[in-house]
Amino acid sequence: MAPKAAPSSSAQSQSSVQTLWSAYSEQTPDRLKFIDSFLLFIMLSGVIQFAYCVLVTNYPFNAFLAGFASTIGQFVLTASLRAQVNPENKSEFKDVSPERAFADFALGSIVLHFFVFNFLG
Amino acid sequence: MVSLRAVLWPLLALAGLASAKSSSGDNVLVILEPALDKSNFSIFFDGLKERGYKLTFRAPKSVTPQVIQDEVATFNHVVIFAPETKAYAQDITPQSLVQLLSLNTNLLIALSPKQTPLTSLALEFSLIPPPPGTPLVSHFPERDTPATIVPVRVPSSNPILSTTKAPVWFSGASHALGNNPRLVPILRAPAESFAADSTDDSGSIAVADAAEKGGEGLWAGSQMGLVTGFQVVGGARATWVGGVSVFSDEFAKKEISKGKKSGNQQFAQDVAAWTFQESLVLRIDRTEHHRVNETEPLEQYTTNDMITFTARISKYDGVKERWESYSGLKDLQLEFTMLDPFIRTALSPVAGKPGIYSATFRAPDRHGVFKFVIDYKRKGFTQLHSSTTVSVVPPRHDGYPRFLSAAWPYYAGAISTSIGFLLFSTLWLAGDVREMLMKKGKGLKRE
Repeated sequence: MAPKAAPSSSAQSQSSVQTLWSAYSEQTPDRLKFIDSFLLFIMLSGVIQFAYCVLVTNYPFNAFLAGFASTIGQFVLTASLRAQVNPENKSEFKDVSPERAFADFALGSIVLHFFVFNFLG
Repeated sequence: MVSLRAVLWPLLALAGLASAKSSSGDNVLVILEPALDKSNFSIFFDGLKERGYKLTFRAPKSVTPQVIQDEVATFNHVVIFAPETKAYAQDITPQSLVQLLSLNTNLLIALSPKQTPLTSLALEFSLIPPPPGTPLVSHFPERDTPATIVPVRVPSSNPILSTTKAPVWFSGASHALGNNPRLVPILRAPAESFAADSTDDSGSIAVADAAEKGGEGLWAGSQMGLVTGFQVVGGARATWVGGVSVFSDEFAKKEISKGKKSGNQQFAQDVAAWTFQESLVLRIDRTEHHRVNETEPLEQYTTNDMITFTARISKYDGVKERWESYSGLKDLQLEFTMLDPFIRTALSPVAGKPGIYSATFRAPDRHGVFKFVIDYKRKGFTQLHSSTTVSVVPPRHDGYPRFLSAAWPYYAGAISTSIGFLLFSTLWLAGDVREMLMKKGKGLKRE
């Protein structure tokens, strides 16, 4: 039973991933896709730094903290921007216009980067 | 300046000639008991005069010259050859003798088997005298002198004594040594000697009985001292001699064996030289500290700095009568302490620089107020102590190493995030404009 079931379930999951992907690429606005690509880039950068820290060296530790925190912080800020400009969440963020959301995002990022470079050493 | 120096130089040289043999001065007061004849000690006293000391004699009961006048010591050294005197003039008391030591006056004191005020003072110096009336007795080696006149082998490794190996005649009382670290044993009793009130064979039974009880109550053996020095905190020295006859002409001339001179004459001069702060006198001229490859001392160092500490040490040379740089200390240590020593390292002499001792070490990874401490205490030598306080602070915020190659992935990560943010913002705003234009364009098309 098991050998038969395995390919079918993998095929099923494969198809569900395809469905998800096609749904995402068809239904998501370009602006959100743009944000997602930026999120992906930040995430990869964070993963690489973390792997370097674990596998190679954590010295100087403050530089690791600064680099890793910059990716985390930027990810959080960008993710909240995505939540606020998503048309589907309009009911939740009635008072926040997309322009206001972007201004918050930009200000937060500038403050974040100021701290990051101060701490980078 | 040069001419002034040319004028002053001969004067200084003259002053040097006239200056003391000892590092602390050349005026000696000899308090001599009337029962002792000055001429019986002529070899010892003439030896002192030859070496440049000025001797003043005084009886224990005479009033002048006073040893302390207006709180100032009148003499640099006091020799008390009054082993049987029980009453002194008013200015000589145990208290005044101790005060003399704190005024950097050296004392050479002779004791005897008799109980005198000086015997009780010896107790304060951690010397424990035997019961009164018990001189040192030894029946070995076999000889024609009385049993109370004992030849004593001179220790060969004592830095105080010169290297002549001739034994020394001794007659007088021994003393046990307390555990005071400031005691400097100079001459110890022979192993087969003991203190007894009688040299008759009748007394020997009591001695043998005591010996069978493990030596209980017996004043015997090489743990007893005959001549013992004591060095006080200020550097003054007090030497206690068990019998005044060690210094006498009789013992100096007396032969140890046929044709072999006794070592008394040399021994007496060596003891006087040490007591009068002529030999084994050291001082720290200066200490310096700085970071490696710098020259200026810092008030505060940073943790993990490499620090070089340098000390210059001089030894008094009694022959040349001046202080000379001395590199002979092999076991000098430097401590870097904050309550406890965090670092204790050898402060070793620098080759080619006489008198300079140097150590380089890494400051501990700990901030606080630290001290450079030199604390050199060796039997017979002047005690050296020096303490310099510095603080050790953590690095300032910009004092850490920068642009480390190992950290480039982190730098690249942070920079790429920033650039990414700028690009993202630019494109986002540009997208806004394009959308607005597109909306406008659509509006135009509709019209």
